[in-house]
Amino acid sequence: MVPAKRESLITQMRRGTLEYCVLALLRDQPRYGFDLVRSLSQADGLVTSEGTIYPLLGRLRRDGLVTTTWHESPSGPPRRYYQLTAEGRRALALFSTEWDRFTDAVDRLLQQGGSP
Amino acid sequence: MTTEVDALIARYLQDLESQLGDLPANRRQELLDEVHAHIAAARADLDLETEADVRTMLERLGDPADIAAEARERSGVQARPARPTTPWLEIATVVLLVIPFLGWILGAVLVWLSRLWTTRDKLIGTVAGLSWLLGGLGTVMVSAGGPVGQPGVDVGTTGSNPLELILVVAPLVLPVAAAIYLGLRLRRRAGAPAATG
Repeated sequence: MVPAKRESLITQMRRGTLEYCVLALLRDQPRYGFDLVRSLSQADGLVTSEGTIYPLLGRLRRDGLVTTTWHESPSGPPRRYYQLTAEGRRALALFSTEWDRFTDAVDRLLQQGGSP
Repeated sequence: MTTEVDALIARYLQDLESQLGDLPANRRQELLDEVHAHIAAARADLDLETEADVRTMLERLGDPADIAAEARERSGVQARPARPTTPWLEIATVVLLVIPFLGWILGAVLVWLSRLWTTRDKLIGTVAGLSWLLGGLGTVMVSAGGPVGQPGVDVGTTGSNPLELILVVAPLVLPVAAAIYLGLRLRRRAGAPAATG
């Protein structure tokens, strides 16, 4: 496949899902920006440039899906920690359910190719 | 060594700051703080910091232009190149080209300040706006070179009449024609992004 096409395909798939990946990473514990970004970029193909996550984090905060608090760090200046709000948790649960249905449907179509 | 690395990082942050220029000040500061903290945390993670390490870290962070584009998209700020503003300069130029003499001169000058017209458009506007100068010059030349003191029997006199007519009428018509032409060109360009020249 042409690289440009592959890139735009991934970009499109990432667009709708990345914010929920961020919410999922925050499900069990608050995290600070760098920690969050590095965990995301370890997932293959999810993040091409780490810096682009920060505008997304700002957006999630303004939408009330996460809140931030400052905590002392063992080394260096205090860190801004992100944690899920109740609304963020609901959004994540909803996405989770819909994602399962969606991927099941797509998987089935991709595997059987429309044959009965 | 350390200064080299510091300079690299300073340049990166400066570049990012200027790329974020059209974001509201508080968003811009928040983002700069976050990227700054990211860099500090990444550096703290490195055991032995080399220049190559720092370069890799900045590469992973990504092109400041990409971060700025994402920030604009996520905060609903329009990208700078999209400017659906009214082209006042061009409208003024077109209007001026219809007003004799002073308007023609100003129009011929203003047309060059536009970013929407091409050089060819501008030349047409200038020549048309100043055509009365050429026409006036021509008229003087024709009457000077014409049949002096020989009343209308000569063939040359009848031949010079249409020419004189053109020289008198053209300066009045050409600026208006150019104004219409430039107006049409402007309408066509209105949907397209601004020319770079």
